[in-house]
Amino acid sequence: MAATVQEAAIQPHALPKEHQRPASSYVKQFVRYLILSAVGLVLFIPFILAAIGTFKTDSEIIVYPPAFFPAQWLVQNWVKVWTTDLGQGGTFPRWLFNTAFLAVSVAVLQSLFGSMAAFSFSRLKFPGRNAVFNFMLATMMIPGAVTMIPAYVLMTKLHLLNTYWSLILPGAVGAGSIFMLTQFFKAVPRDLEEAAVIDGATYFQVYRNVILPLARPALLTVFILQFQGMWNAFLSPLLYLNSPSMWVLNVALSIFQQTYKAAWNLILVGAMFNAIPILLLFFFFSKYYMEGVAYTGVKG
Amino acid sequence: MQQVKEKSRRDSNVAAIVTFIGLVVLLMVIALVNAPTQGGPRVMASVSSYLAAVKASALPYLAVIALASIVLGGVAARIVRREWPDRRRRSALIAGYAFMAPYLLITLTFTVGVVLFALYISFTKYDIFTAPTWVGVQNYLKAFAGFTDPSQTLFLQSLYNVFWYALIVVPLQTAAAIVLAILLNAPMRLKQFFRTIFYAPSVTSSVVITLIFIWFYLKTGYINFFFSNVLGVFGIHWQAVAWLGDPRGLIELIVNAFGGKIAYAQWYLKGPSIAWMAIMFQNIFTTAPTFMIMFLAALQDVNPTLYEAASIDGASAWQRFWKITLPLLRPIMLLVVTLGTIGTLQVFDQVYLATAGGPLGTTETPVYQVFVNALGTGGQIQMGYASALAFIVAIIIFFFTFLQRRFIERGTEVY
Repeated sequence: MAATVQEAAIQPHALPKEHQRPASSYVKQFVRYLILSAVGLVLFIPFILAAIGTFKTDSEIIVYPPAFFPAQWLVQNWVKVWTTDLGQGGTFPRWLFNTAFLAVSVAVLQSLFGSMAAFSFSRLKFPGRNAVFNFMLATMMIPGAVTMIPAYVLMTKLHLLNTYWSLILPGAVGAGSIFMLTQFFKAVPRDLEEAAVIDGATYFQVYRNVILPLARPALLTVFILQFQGMWNAFLSPLLYLNSPSMWVLNVALSIFQQTYKAAWNLILVGAMFNAIPILLLFFFFSKYYMEGVAYTGVKG
Repeated sequence: MQQVKEKSRRDSNVAAIVTFIGLVVLLMVIALVNAPTQGGPRVMASVSSYLAAVKASALPYLAVIALASIVLGGVAARIVRREWPDRRRRSALIAGYAFMAPYLLITLTFTVGVVLFALYISFTKYDIFTAPTWVGVQNYLKAFAGFTDPSQTLFLQSLYNVFWYALIVVPLQTAAAIVLAILLNAPMRLKQFFRTIFYAPSVTSSVVITLIFIWFYLKTGYINFFFSNVLGVFGIHWQAVAWLGDPRGLIELIVNAFGGKIAYAQWYLKGPSIAWMAIMFQNIFTTAPTFMIMFLAALQDVNPTLYEAASIDGASAWQRFWKITLPLLRPIMLLVVTLGTIGTLQVFDQVYLATAGGPLGTTETPVYQVFVNALGTGGQIQMGYASALAFIVAIIIFFFTFLQRRFIERGTEVY
């Protein structure tokens, strides 16, 4: 599958190239890499400058003109942020844990419940199925601004404010991931499961032993997209988690910005703590990640 | 034989009744949890105090929901009764809904129930701590009161701002995404590397990117440094700008350049402010790579023989782009423009972190207004008003999605 896609991508450009003179083709290649590197630099430079900024002193970080490198590389900034204690259990390791825990929980549940619903939508035939599917597509149109306030009220009613549940419960299912998994399951050939059904397998056994193993790449894609979505979420954690021990990194960062004011070196350290894990995850799993975005256009 | 049939019919009836009761009870419990009552720790302390609150303010609401549940329960019961006798169809029905149960339960509670609640309170005055009181369409009228009352223009200004935002950001980010995708689509070494680098701004959270950009936009920051150095090469002196604090509008700047002036009261003539355009730039920077991936996927599906045929016919690279690539990307463009518009009309994170709506309300957005009014950070808690604003945003989003669908789909018929 991957190979054919790659070939298709190469061919259109590779063919006309044979007619060109080699000299101009080398120049063209060079210009292309030059442009790619320049664009890449522009897109990545905020991270580079911010990363270097974390090692600057309080004055170096806001002095004009800014120096590219600090006079002395201060590792203390990182230590200082890591050992921050804003009271009431508001410490950096705690925020990191909250963020990671929520992201993993939501991603696992979305993969599980999403694959179950997708199995139902793609493999079972029963009255009401299409109605529910269309209903699901309709709910995708509802903007977050509408559900934000009443969900907050609901959380207060259920006594779920400042608990992990306030983000895990509503985040446990998502129309986007169900839609994506349904499309994927529909593309899986039915021969295997028909054989299983003849052998007397129940629907649950078909789901568990036939569909899930085949769907592993799609599940990984959903997992990564949802992990990233929750890791980067801001508005809902800002609403539901407002005691320092429950903050996620994004919320803590916004508070940092208010507490540290001009200490941009410290704020940037916090930003790096947030950015590095997700960038690493992306570097390792970029294939699944890109497939997911390309598939549905749904990004966390 | 007769007995078996009799028993099967009885089973079907029992199953239908159980379905009916079960579904109605379930929906009513969800409705009860989402009933528009007063909130606060005292009312929520116990189930009985909550039920008392429901009785006080939410009975008509529950009655409407109950009617709907009974209709839905009836439909479900009929289906169950019809499918029950056939063993295969029965098990498909049970399995089908069992597999969907987690999704349905959560969506009904946290999406449908919540939206109905929001719709109801958008017609009320509601501050959580007292029961909502019905005020009709007052909240919706208040949102547009700025047309007649110059002191109430905040929401209108926020709409004005996001329209500019969508108008500038959506075309630019779509164009940037196409250019990036075409750059990456060529055969090359290090493709994976470049793709990863290009995509990095889209992976990190908007909070991180916004914080980095606030730092860049400081008067002593890298953006001013960049302009000062680049323009310095041409001998032009660059006056440092406090990017995120500058309320001067784009049109205002042009008018000023010609010696004119726009009065403060005529904010609607000023165009997007410098602060707002700074946020736009940052937004384009982070969203273009997301959409780049979608275009890249679409480009890889383009049939190579099309390009072959075109180049044999002597089409230049430029012509191939305009006549083949772009028309084939149209469906994805529709999706990207729609998603882009939906996203831009709901800007929040950047505004919350960078400007809090200022300077002079030029970065105020509807969703930020919803947030401020719902939590009462700018005065009293006005949940009803905030909900009305949210529904206005939703209607605008539906309208634009619909419009774009018609507009762009008509364009595709040519090809």
